[in-house]
Amino acid sequence: MSLLKLDQATIKFGGLIAVNAVSFELNKGDLFGLIGPNGAGKTTCFNIITGVYKPTSGIIEFNGRSIGGTPSNKIASLGIARTFQNIRLFKALSVLENVVVGGYLRHNTGLFSALAYLPNSIAETNRLKADAMELLKVVNLQHVADVRSADLSYGMQRRLEIARAMATQPELLLLDEPAAGMNPLEKEELLVMVKKIRDHHGMTVLLIEHDMRFVMNLCERIVVLDHGEEIAQGPPSAIRNDPKVIAAYLGEAV
Amino acid sequence: MKFWIIRLASIAIAVFGCIGLQVLANHQTDYMQRLLVLSGLYVTLAVSLNLINGITGQFSIGHAAFYQVGAYLGGYLSVCFFRSSGLPPLVWLVVTMIAGAIGAAIAGLVVGLPSLRLKGDYLAIVTLGFGEIIRIQVQNTPALGGSYGMNVNPKVQSVAIVWLLAILCIAICRNLLKTASGLPFLAVREDEVASSAMGVNVTGAKVTAFVLGSAFAGAAGALLASFEGFITPGTFAMDVSFIILTMVVLGGTGSITGSVVAAIFLTLLPEYLRGLKAPSGGPLMLTGGTVMGWMIAVVVTVAILRYVYSDGGRSRLNRLMFACGGLVAGAIVQIVASIALNKIGKFHDKQIVIDQLRMVIFAVTLIVLMLLRPQGVFAHHEFSWNLLAKLFGKKKEVSA
Repeated sequence: MSLLKLDQATIKFGGLIAVNAVSFELNKGDLFGLIGPNGAGKTTCFNIITGVYKPTSGIIEFNGRSIGGTPSNKIASLGIARTFQNIRLFKALSVLENVVVGGYLRHNTGLFSALAYLPNSIAETNRLKADAMELLKVVNLQHVADVRSADLSYGMQRRLEIARAMATQPELLLLDEPAAGMNPLEKEELLVMVKKIRDHHGMTVLLIEHDMRFVMNLCERIVVLDHGEEIAQGPPSAIRNDPKVIAAYLGEAV
Repeated sequence: MKFWIIRLASIAIAVFGCIGLQVLANHQTDYMQRLLVLSGLYVTLAVSLNLINGITGQFSIGHAAFYQVGAYLGGYLSVCFFRSSGLPPLVWLVVTMIAGAIGAAIAGLVVGLPSLRLKGDYLAIVTLGFGEIIRIQVQNTPALGGSYGMNVNPKVQSVAIVWLLAILCIAICRNLLKTASGLPFLAVREDEVASSAMGVNVTGAKVTAFVLGSAFAGAAGALLASFEGFITPGTFAMDVSFIILTMVVLGGTGSITGSVVAAIFLTLLPEYLRGLKAPSGGPLMLTGGTVMGWMIAVVVTVAILRYVYSDGGRSRLNRLMFACGGLVAGAIVQIVASIALNKIGKFHDKQIVIDQLRMVIFAVTLIVLMLLRPQGVFAHHEFSWNLLAKLFGKKKEVSA
């Protein structure tokens, strides 16, 4: 059974059809790429999946359950986590605290024991911090755990967003332009890291990226969007030679 | 085991501290007792508003409304049920306090649930409106005494319980920030979309903070009612909300320590100025020239200090020296300007009692602090034993 299934998913903002009848399926353990020119509707697609927007029509299924229009926080607890194109960290909080917020979803002590500062709440806090530290090691940020997250470099902030999303223990991880603003060396590291996340942490990854070399090297299957419509789908080798994709990216021959 | 010993010890210290305060207060004048109680109540109000404004980032400017709900509920219950209940006054005080807290929490829930779903400044508008609605409604309800006010019997005055409530409020906020359960609240303040994507129930966190903050305001209100023995709607006018908000902002939004210090400072400052006496024993009189001299000196000093601190390139020591220089320059300007202005007969003859100036001084203090330190005195920092040790140059880590 597929993990995530979009069937004719459509969203309209007034007269603008941002995503038009897009359908694709992700299986467990996929490394899936979502590409397309600017304004193609890639991030909107993410926003529909994570409940920021409610799709106008169409079906979105996660683990066989329809999730169209479910609030974001419910979707996170079902097991979909995401990062943001325009980095959205909790700026005033430390790096470690950012990750703990992600892990808090899987906590199990109530607010009362926190307010009374009971031992189980303290133990829970320590456990969450230890878990968060482990995740920081995965994205190689353990040495800056106590730094204010706004003070990190751009590349580090992107990695922190990934760690924070992973802390919610998702089955499906959505990465929105994870390599944007990174230098070639950082991109190489990210490539290895994303593969590791899939192989060692068992998360399925769906990512948006503009760097073609990065996507072609990393992803096993790719969907191409243009003007909200799906124009191609398949393995990187097929996408690379698809005339429609070339036309969308480079313009058609006159 | 060790945990529970520390816990019991700290509770015991708090309780005995408050009882000690009560014993001290018993030997003081009524006026001093009143100041003690008012600062305790304002600490509770400021810290509870800090939970809403500073920690969760929801801009509420109607805290006096919940204070009022608690006061009138507590007062009304006292009037109707104290005699038939047969409880000792102190126990009854705690009962009204809890009732006030519950009443204000329900009011908070009713106001918060719809308005906290909205983003931006809507909450500010709704809470401001709610504050006025409650005040005017009470003013027009004969059963609550209308604008004449309501007598509250029995009049129970307990410094200890007021400060116990304040300590409870501080403890709860501090516990929240010490555990992982507090992080979702901070996350909501930082970024709602991201915290929602991380599984935080944004509306839930906001409403929880709002209800909790309102409950403490209500409890403080009930204590005020039974301390004063008489409440009118005017006690809870809009400016009370703004004073509480000022305390939170001045102390540094999000800092519990800041709220506590600012609450005590702003409660006592006008009262301290009221009591200032001249060396001869009469009320302190200032000539018009001196007052104007002070004004010019404050403007000059603030301008110099702002210039010094806006230049980020200076070293710490250099900045400190320039700041001291600014203060000295301000003092010189004050003396010179006062002497010069007092030469003018018109300014010299005009005598002003300091009591008339106290709200002006209050306002000027706020303006100066906001100009020099817009993030609030304590910014995001909290008091801790480690910090204290660091301040006094000890390298040893002290466990809190």
